[in-house]
Parts: sequence; structure tokens; C-alpha cells
Amino acid sequence: MTIDIFWRIPTHGEPSSHRSRKPWRGDWFPGNDNLTKPGLGGGEDGSTYIDYLAEIARAAEISGFQGGLIPSFPSTDEPWVISSFLARETKTFRFMIPFQPGFLNPVVAARQTASLQRATGGRALYNIITGGGGPQQLWWGDSVPHDDRYTRTTEFLDVVRGVWRGGPFSYQGKFYQVEDAGLPDPLSEEDFPEIYFSGSSDAALASASKHADYYLSWLEPFDALRDKFNRVKERTDALGRKIKTAVRVDILARPTEEEAWEEIRRGFANVDPAALARFQGAGERTESVGAQRQRGFRPTTINSYTDLITEPNIWSGFSLLRGGQTQGIVGSYEQVAERLDDLVRLGADAFILASTPHLEEAYRVGEEVLPLVRGRPSGSATLRAVG
Amino acid sequence: MAIEFIWQLPTGGDGRHGDATQTRRGERSGLTRPPFTEGVSDPRGERFNFLDHLHQIARAADLAGFDGIQIQHDPQGDESWIVAGYLARGSRRLKLLTEFEASRGSAVYAAKNAASFQRFTQGRFAWQISPGGDAALRRQQGDHAPDSDILPRIGEFVEVAKGVLTQSPYRFKGRFFEVLDGGFNGPLSNNPVPPVYLSGGSPEAYALSAQWADVHVLDAAPVDELKETIAKLEALAAGQGRSLAFGLRIDVLARETESEAVRDAQRFLAQSGRAVGSSDPVVAPGLWAGFATERTGAAASLVGSYGTVAERLVKYAEAGVSSFILAAIPHLEEAYRIGEQVLPVVRSRIATRLSKAA
Repeated sequence: MTIDIFWRIPTHGEPSSHRSRKPWRGDWFPGNDNLTKPGLGGGEDGSTYIDYLAEIARAAEISGFQGGLIPSFPSTDEPWVISSFLARETKTFRFMIPFQPGFLNPVVAARQTASLQRATGGRALYNIITGGGGPQQLWWGDSVPHDDRYTRTTEFLDVVRGVWRGGPFSYQGKFYQVEDAGLPDPLSEEDFPEIYFSGSSDAALASASKHADYYLSWLEPFDALRDKFNRVKERTDALGRKIKTAVRVDILARPTEEEAWEEIRRGFANVDPAALARFQGAGERTESVGAQRQRGFRPTTINSYTDLITEPNIWSGFSLLRGGQTQGIVGSYEQVAERLDDLVRLGADAFILASTPHLEEAYRVGEEVLPLVRGRPSGSATLRAVG
Repeated sequence: MAIEFIWQLPTGGDGRHGDATQTRRGERSGLTRPPFTEGVSDPRGERFNFLDHLHQIARAADLAGFDGIQIQHDPQGDESWIVAGYLARGSRRLKLLTEFEASRGSAVYAAKNAASFQRFTQGRFAWQISPGGDAALRRQQGDHAPDSDILPRIGEFVEVAKGVLTQSPYRFKGRFFEVLDGGFNGPLSNNPVPPVYLSGGSPEAYALSAQWADVHVLDAAPVDELKETIAKLEALAAGQGRSLAFGLRIDVLARETESEAVRDAQRFLAQSGRAVGSSDPVVAPGLWAGFATERTGAAASLVGSYGTVAERLVKYAEAGVSSFILAAIPHLEEAYRIGEQVLPVVRSRIATRLSKAA
């Protein structure tokens, strides 16, 4: 199978470059946008942040991306809303919607998804996340413990699949019970959305192996990532299913490697010392195994941005520049493409890329990097790297 | 409260006839037979579906001068929140009154989605929370709450949603929802709470509205009956130190002449399969029950000339109704008819009488 490459929608605000810590473009945070000029938002002209997000979605589809991940965090706009708003003004952009199953009744979620499929001509995808736990879960209003949440995730997907073709479907789970449920016609004719599944714990892998089409991981050191992918594939093989893998990775690509590292150097120079101290410290309490793994891959002494270069063309400080993952790829267009092909060789079937600012970089990456990626021509066997 | 006219968006189907068959105009479904014969080429392929028609109705309501649309909750139709988002950017100033049940999931998640709606529409999103169907219908929706929990859950849902939208940190522990150190910060803070529309005719429903509703939506009934209910609800709300506005869910069948209106009412009645003469459909002068209302969900419809229907709407306004949730089939064509022929008359008469009263 060929490789699918997605982009990201910056729900967490957009600075003008990796150097800037001011994510006010497009009136993301009205009232804190005194640096934003009229026309770039400001509210007076009636535009809002969705107008800027629409620009990015169209840039991504014009540039050849499959679509984009629409991240959901406590301070961000919600992906269901963004997807339904942009349905009519995009043509091929696929909306990757992260959500935690505990937040929606599965029968409602099924109907909501089917309607979004109808609104978009089948362009909705799930990114199922099960929550990092800790105090954050109760912020969301969720009091179910970590491993139970994966049971709930599995049950949730059992029900959504169960009602999808119209039913009647009945189910007696620990978290969900339904009687004679089913989607109405013609909603029941839609394709089921592909499922990208995130989660690094054993409970997560068990749930993923039952329901996921793609197992999605942040970039990790290549050996660790290869092991992780092999583990999830073995578990899924044991159930007689096939699972594909995907990597979420920030990139910074420039015509030359020097220019790319210069961006990182200047971005790092603008990092708030308090943020750097937090980055080097123990961090927030979390039950998220993925976040703990990311932390374990970082150096503990950081005097310069170069201390965070952990492998060739890999920089482990991206979360200092904006919220999210730690590791990303930095280099010339050719080098970034080569590293992506390295990831293809270790098993990746899909990528979710991101770079700041997402609008301009969608064009740059689409025009300069994606044409250099060899990927995996259709018909060639999936290479399972060993050792 | 200023008078608002809200047009219904029928998420489960719409058509020209008064029968109960669900027609989805524009639907590309493989289950429906193509309407043209084999001898006529059809350029549409599978490029359209009912959502395209819903978009047309919303634009019609916008152009015809309505203040909002009510996006119907119908388990047999398209999902109301997705429809609301899908229409938002195609309409300029419509209030998006979105109907749903409190069983849809987490109140925090609903509030967070609502904050995005408010940000992207500059505050046009509103909630109509309905109790849903009977226990068997609710179990089909994955909802096992007993009848006695339905209204208390709506109360908690609204309380938690308002809480996280307006306070931080916010804490709540109730029977149905729990939040610790909640509340929205940054871009999601300081967004308007969606106005809450509730309904129901029981003492419990009245108490719920008195505590949590911004608008209590009344079912269509003769105006004198509604006056009593309004007085009762106003007293209850005042007891809570609140004020409450009133909505009216009523259908309208308006034609140039009285006799045309009656003729079409009788035609719809026949099409809806109800035996003519089985019981008198005219429940009060100019107020009919039993045709097309199964689809639109109204208790009754005004039937009459443009002038009569307008005058009856004015009477409801004088009785205290400020939110009219109107419908007629087919929804697209009738949005223009009511917007062009009836609403201007109602608006000018209300303005005149208010200025005389002042």
C-alpha cells in the first residue's frame, strides 16, 4: 500500500514562525491579539479563527495532503465543530477527529459521524484517544480510572460498529448498554471512518489491536519506534487482524540544512527560561505512558539547542517551541524526505506532519518535500525491519 | 425581549405532501430509485444528498428575514450538531437553535463544542434540550435513565455547561456529572453561554424551566390557554429571582385567501392518511391539528389567509410569546412565503401596538 500523508490544523494558535511565541494569527485569542493587524483578524471585519483554519485546510488539500489532524486540548476549539464548519468548502481534505470515547454516547456518536460522512462525502476519520489521566481527566468531567477507560474505549467502538449498518443491535457492556439500536437509512449506507488509535500502555495496545486501522505514535527514537510498531503488529496478528502504523511528527525543512538549524537556534533562543526549567524537570503528573516515554528520551542537561540533537536530523525540543510532541525532523528538503523514508522502512504506513506556520509550510512541504519521498509503491511488500 | 422568528429545519425529511412518508429532497441514496426514466439522462449522479437541501432551507430562512433556525433533533434523521456546523458558514445572521437530548454525553464536552460554535459564529449558537422519547426509544439511543431522571439530568447538564463556560476553576459533583478544577481558559473563555430553550407541560418541567431555561417553549394551543401557563411560569421564575421568556412551537398554513388555506389544509389532511371526519381537526378558530404535524412535531397549525395568520401571531405576542418557532411543509418554499407575506405584517403590527402602548 502507498503511504498516506496528512497535515495538521493548528487548533492551539499560530505564531508567524518557529521563532515566535505569539500565536495570535487569525484572531485565535480575541483580546490578546494587540499585535494582530486588522484583516488578520481583530474581529472588526467579522472574521474569526475558523476563517484562518479554512485557509489551511484548503492549502493542505491543494498541496496534496490527505487531510489533517485537528488536535483537541483543553484550550483548543473542538474538531467535530471545525470539521462540520469546513465540510462544504473543502473538496478532498479528510478530517481526522481526535476524541475520547467517554465524552459521547456511542449511538449519538455513530449518527453524528454518519451525518459528517454525508456532509463531506466520506472524509471523516477518527483519532481515538483515551486520555492521559491525572487531574486533567476530571477537568473533562471524566472520573473513570486509566485501564477501565480502555475497556470503555473498546466497548464504545463495539457499539459504534454495531449500530453502523442499521441494526437492530443490542449490547450489554460494563459501560454501554443498547437495545435494538441502529442507524436509520440512508445514514446506514456511509463508509465506516478509518480509525487512528493513540495510546502507549498495554491496555491501549489491547484495545487498538481489536479496533484500529492505524496505530498512531509520536516520533520516538527510531529503535524504540520500531519495537513499538512490531509489538502492536504482533498483538494484532495474534487476533487474525492487520494493523497499519502512523507517525505524528513535526518537521522543519529548508533549502539547506544550515538554514533549517538556524530556525531552530533562533526559536530556542526565544524560549522562556521557566518553560525550559519545566522541560528539564519532572513535568506534570500524568498517567499517560506516551508522555512518560517522551520524557525518558530527552537529555537532562541542556545548554544549547545542539544538546537536543538526539539522532541525525532529529531535534528533541519541539515541545519548547509549541505544545505537543518533543521530537521532530530538521534538515534540508532532501534530508527530511530521507528521514521520512527511513520511517517507512521501519514500518510506517502514514504520516501526520506539521510545521509552523501551517499555511505557508503546507505549500512548502507539499511542493518541496513530498515529491522527494519515495514512500512505498503500490504492490511492494511491507518491509518488517528486524532487530 | 425582542420578538424572534425561528424557522424549523427538518433533519429527518421534507416534502411537498402531507403524508408521513419521509422524503429527503436531494438524497443520492442508493436505496431510492432515480426519479427519471432510463430515457432521460440525469446529471446529478451521487453528488447530492439531503444535507444540500437543508443548506438551501437555511439560506432561504436567512434571505427571507427569519432570525433563526431550529435544527430539529430526530433520531431517524441527520444529527443536529453536525447539521448546525454544516450550515453555519452558509448563513450570515441566523441563530442556530440546535435541539438535542442530555443523553448525548458529557456536559463539559458539549459546552466545549459550544464554545467553538460561539467563537466561529460570533455567538449565534443556542440550545434546545428535549426530554427525548419513551423508555424503549431511549434504550435504542444507549440511554437507560428511568423516566424520573430525565428532567433532573437536563438540569445538571445545563448547570455544568454554564459552570464551565463562566467559571474557572469550577467544581461540581452531582448524580450525573462530575467536574474537578474545570472551566475554560484562554481562547475558550468569555464566550456567551448558549441560550437554553426548554419545554414540557408537567409541574416538574415548569420547575426546571423556572430554574434553568432562558426560553420556555410552549406547544401550540388557543391563546387564552397559554396566558394561564405563562402567568404560572412567570410566577415560578420570579420565585427563583429569574425572568423567563416564552416560545411557541406552532405550524403555519397561510395562503392568499382563507378558502385556499382551508382547501390545502384538507388536502394535507387527506394525504396524511387520517380519515376525514373521524374527529374535527379544527381545535379552535383557525387552529388545526392532525395534518403534517407528525412530521414537524407541532401540536397544531394556524390555517388562514396571510392577514388572519399574522393577526393570530400578533395575539400570541401580546400574550407574552417572544420566540416563534414556525414550520410548514415544504420548508424551503414556505420559508419564502411566510417571510415575504406574513412576517412583515406581524412585525409592523407589533411595532405599531408597542408604540401606541408606550
